[in-house]
Amino acid sequence: MSRRRDEYEDDVEEDDEYDGVDEEDDEADGYDDGGKERYARSLNVEYDEEATDVEQQALLPSVRDPKLWMVKCAIGREREVAVCLMQKCIDRGPELQIRSAIALDHLKNFIYIEADKEAHVKEAIKGMRNIFTGKIMLVPIKEMTDVLSVESKAIDISRDTWVRLKIGTYKGDLAKVVDVDNVRQRATVKVIPRIDLQALSNKLEGREVPKKKAFTPPARFMNIDEARELHIRVERRRDPATGDYFEKIEGMMFKDGFLYKNVSLKSLSTQNVQPTFDELEKFRQPGETGDGDMSSLSTLFANRKKGHFMKGDRVIVVKGDLRNLKGWVEKVEEDTVHIKPNEKGLPKTLAISDKDLCKYFEPGNHVKVVSGATEGATGMVVSVEGHVVNLVSDTTKELIRVFADNVVESSEVTSGVTKIGDYELHDLVVLDDNSFGVIIRVESEAFQVLKGVPERPDVALARLREIKYKVDKKIFAKDRYKNTLSVKDVVKILDGPCRGKQGPVEHIYKGVLFIYDRHHLEHAGFICVKSESCMMVGGSRANGERNGNSFTSKFSHLRTPPRVPTSSMRPPRGGYGGHNNFGGRGGGRGHDALIGATVKIRLGHYKGCKGRVKDVKGSTVRIELESQMKVVAGKSPFWEMCLMATLAFAVDRSHISDNVNVTPSRETSRYGMGSETPMHPSRTPLHPYMTPMRDSGVTPYHDGMRTPMRDRAWNPYTPMSPPRDNWEDGNPGSWGTSPQYQPGSPPSRAYEAPTPGSGWTNTPSNNYNEAGTPRDSGSAYANAPSPYLPSTPGGQPPMTPSSAYLPGTPGGQPMTPGSGGLDMMSPVVGADSEGPWFLPDILVNVRRPGDDTTPGVIREVLPDGSSKIALGSSGNGDVVTALPNEIEVVPPRKLDKIKIMGGAHRGATGKLIGIDGTDGIVKVDDTLDVKILDMVSLAKLVQA
Amino acid sequence: MFFHMVLERNMQLHPRHFGRDLRDKLVTKLMKDVEGTCSGHHGFVVAITGIDNVGKGLIRDGTGFVTFPVKYQCVVFRPFKGEILEAVVTMVNKMGFFAEAGPVQVFVSNHLIPDDMEFQAGDIPNYTTYDGSVKIQKESEVRLKIIGTRVDATEIFCIGTIKDDFLGVISDPGANS
Repeated sequence: MSRRRDEYEDDVEEDDEYDGVDEEDDEADGYDDGGKERYARSLNVEYDEEATDVEQQALLPSVRDPKLWMVKCAIGREREVAVCLMQKCIDRGPELQIRSAIALDHLKNFIYIEADKEAHVKEAIKGMRNIFTGKIMLVPIKEMTDVLSVESKAIDISRDTWVRLKIGTYKGDLAKVVDVDNVRQRATVKVIPRIDLQALSNKLEGREVPKKKAFTPPARFMNIDEARELHIRVERRRDPATGDYFEKIEGMMFKDGFLYKNVSLKSLSTQNVQPTFDELEKFRQPGETGDGDMSSLSTLFANRKKGHFMKGDRVIVVKGDLRNLKGWVEKVEEDTVHIKPNEKGLPKTLAISDKDLCKYFEPGNHVKVVSGATEGATGMVVSVEGHVVNLVSDTTKELIRVFADNVVESSEVTSGVTKIGDYELHDLVVLDDNSFGVIIRVESEAFQVLKGVPERPDVALARLREIKYKVDKKIFAKDRYKNTLSVKDVVKILDGPCRGKQGPVEHIYKGVLFIYDRHHLEHAGFICVKSESCMMVGGSRANGERNGNSFTSKFSHLRTPPRVPTSSMRPPRGGYGGHNNFGGRGGGRGHDALIGATVKIRLGHYKGCKGRVKDVKGSTVRIELESQMKVVAGKSPFWEMCLMATLAFAVDRSHISDNVNVTPSRETSRYGMGSETPMHPSRTPLHPYMTPMRDSGVTPYHDGMRTPMRDRAWNPYTPMSPPRDNWEDGNPGSWGTSPQYQPGSPPSRAYEAPTPGSGWTNTPSNNYNEAGTPRDSGSAYANAPSPYLPSTPGGQPPMTPSSAYLPGTPGGQPMTPGSGGLDMMSPVVGADSEGPWFLPDILVNVRRPGDDTTPGVIREVLPDGSSKIALGSSGNGDVVTALPNEIEVVPPRKLDKIKIMGGAHRGATGKLIGIDGTDGIVKVDDTLDVKILDMVSLAKLVQA
Repeated sequence: MFFHMVLERNMQLHPRHFGRDLRDKLVTKLMKDVEGTCSGHHGFVVAITGIDNVGKGLIRDGTGFVTFPVKYQCVVFRPFKGEILEAVVTMVNKMGFFAEAGPVQVFVSNHLIPDDMEFQAGDIPNYTTYDGSVKIQKESEVRLKIIGTRVDATEIFCIGTIKDDFLGVISDPGANS
């Protein structure tokens, strides 16, 4: 541009040869002397003073400057036309009012003429050959600069620069310039040959081979011996110019395995060559060591971005006298970098050309890769070899080799890109072919996925579009010992190639676990195993964290495997459905029991869908479906769900009760189905909130949830089980004889005595006190789990979700944390509810198929679990025998006389002095103690 | 390097712990919370050696938790660049080996292992000198120099070298057997 401005100032019409490329063109010498002088002079003036950007800006054409016109001319005559115009100008002098004429090499069919007015242009070209006056176009001011911008910097191909070939078999290949012939515009470059020796030998021997589809042979070094074996003639010649020996095959020259190729300069691309590390390594391979480094540097330097050096960078001088001087960058100017040298006795700062500098790192530096294949990765430098830095990646712990130039010091820790689209490192994804795996590495455009194939590690490269979706569900699996595993549980691998490894479960999918072991170096530490070949180590952490309750899985762990199914066979207690169980323990949290639970819908339109319970209202629940982004309401009777780990979990109570009615016999088998076992884990969310409440002040319950105390406490649970077994054996009557209840059994026999009236009056207190004495905290805890299994024999007759049992006021915890006695009591409540808890003299409702509900009073509990019931609310009517599932206890009201049906006080009578949510406050007759008991374990007493 | 220093921490205590043993509870919780943690500034807290001062508690609205500022003395372990440590080799692979010095994991790259030691793959991967006299394998104890540290919220990771005088194996489990 500035050159052009000169011409404005000089006010000469001049043809122009800005391109400088056309050296061979003789016309270039056709300037008249005067013009050349002026031209040269003004040039000097211009370049002597360093033009700043602002000044440059001021030189841009404005509306007041002459305009550029584009005029059509004959193709190939552009230069001629321009020269003619110049001649015309010389001849005619100031008469010709155009200022300049420009012919551009790359623009055919047009020349530019600079003039103030279109008329001047027309005047100037009038009567000229090869020029078409028909169309004169104005170049917009903005585009004027582009017309004359010199296209890129001059191609500077010199020896040892790295270039890429633009055409032919070697298109895109990296090449090193060996020799340049500027006159002939050719260069000799060194490339790694892509020669198919077989094809070559065929050709040489004149064999006709059906031509296969064109393909590019892979680049590899030429092996002369191999060529000789194929009977290809190899000549050894000395190059007259350099004196080096070359192997010549079919006119191609080879040396050290490289092909030396003579190519036109135009077929080389010098811009943005950016040799990758691998390419350079290859070039270095055959014996070349030190000096290769220098040459590679020269190109690297050429490719440096602006602002490559920053203040504070540590640098080393790589060229010149000061070679190997280390220092810090103080100031950066365009091409000079001022550095502060490390050595003493040198000036404070030295100005050094940025081409002579290289970044320098020391082992131990924490760096980030800023360009190249591993862009974005961070790591620590372990060694520096010349200009190559070896670093250990922070995340993968792999060794990365990069150029010092591509690295900056940084304290940041990343693994490079960790996310493409929605998918992030370590996500579990399902791929196109329905296989699944964990993303173990994110590359620039693809993910490395460790497939979910347990037998052997299988890593696939998946592009973004090959990934179907991300799996983000909470899924459970079972380990070898049938413990429920969830994410974050620590497991140990028991067999397979990774046997003995241990780590937290990161993902679970289709029974396959992805375990992260930080000591496992392959696959970013991920190991894929079948859940069955693992063993849970320690307790289930996730359950503890997520549900705030570690003990479910904990105790499933402690239990012997066969017990797992049985324990969860406890049906949700009859008519209340699952949720009253929780409610009972929950201190009045009633419905919350289900909320948050993951359930599977078993019936209706959404059958099979899984989701989370959002809200419970009466017999309706609202479920947020996982599969469809919506919340649906479960409308009464058809909605029955099962907890995700397949516990049959009746939301709709009536539905369950129907079942019960139809099959009045014990329903245990229904609940005992193996598939239904994992009721516990999913149910737990409720409990965490409650337990601490009750036990606060007494035990360190809340803290680890896994304190030694607990463990001890939990163990007794196992001995606890026999009674339940008995019960499950369909022998409800045997509860009294079970060892656990030995202390309590004598009174229980008393109840069985046909004289019920006396039964409750004289027996209880002593015996129950006895029973109560061993009630240390251990046993209290031992009993604690039972609320999860609050069972009723085989399912109760349908009980309308009576209000008394339902939602309690969550706050109403009349618990004084200090009073251990009370606290310990509460967990006991549920414990015995698993036995047949009907006792004589309690008011019940009897419902028989086809009949209405009739109140009655139990007179006697028969050993087979059924009861003799005297109908009528005061027990005056007929005596009938009813199965347990036809009987429903009538909940007592405030100030009613009650009988305690469960817990240590089973059989005792008392008075219900208050109801708090699902807890009843009871004054026990014999001891006059006030106890807080679960309403479920209380029944209205009817004295005969 | 180990340091004995005084640190301060605000402890949140659940109201259920209020009572006679409050102080004990506080200390127990402090130990549980703090011991084994790692901070970039101080390094790993190895053990609490004493409580200097428990400040006045502040009851948090809403939760009922009480915050006590606690000043405690503790032993911390912080690796430094240039420090010489003795560590136990935990894993050996072709890129180098990992060693642990207490809670700190140190990686010694094969670039930082003397050149005369070569990686031997096999059942027990190890680095062995040409003459076979020195062997680094799992469970070996090595003396190494830390040349770089990276500090995360939860761990300190170091790069070490044994390519220096007086560094290398100090006890070799393979030699005894």
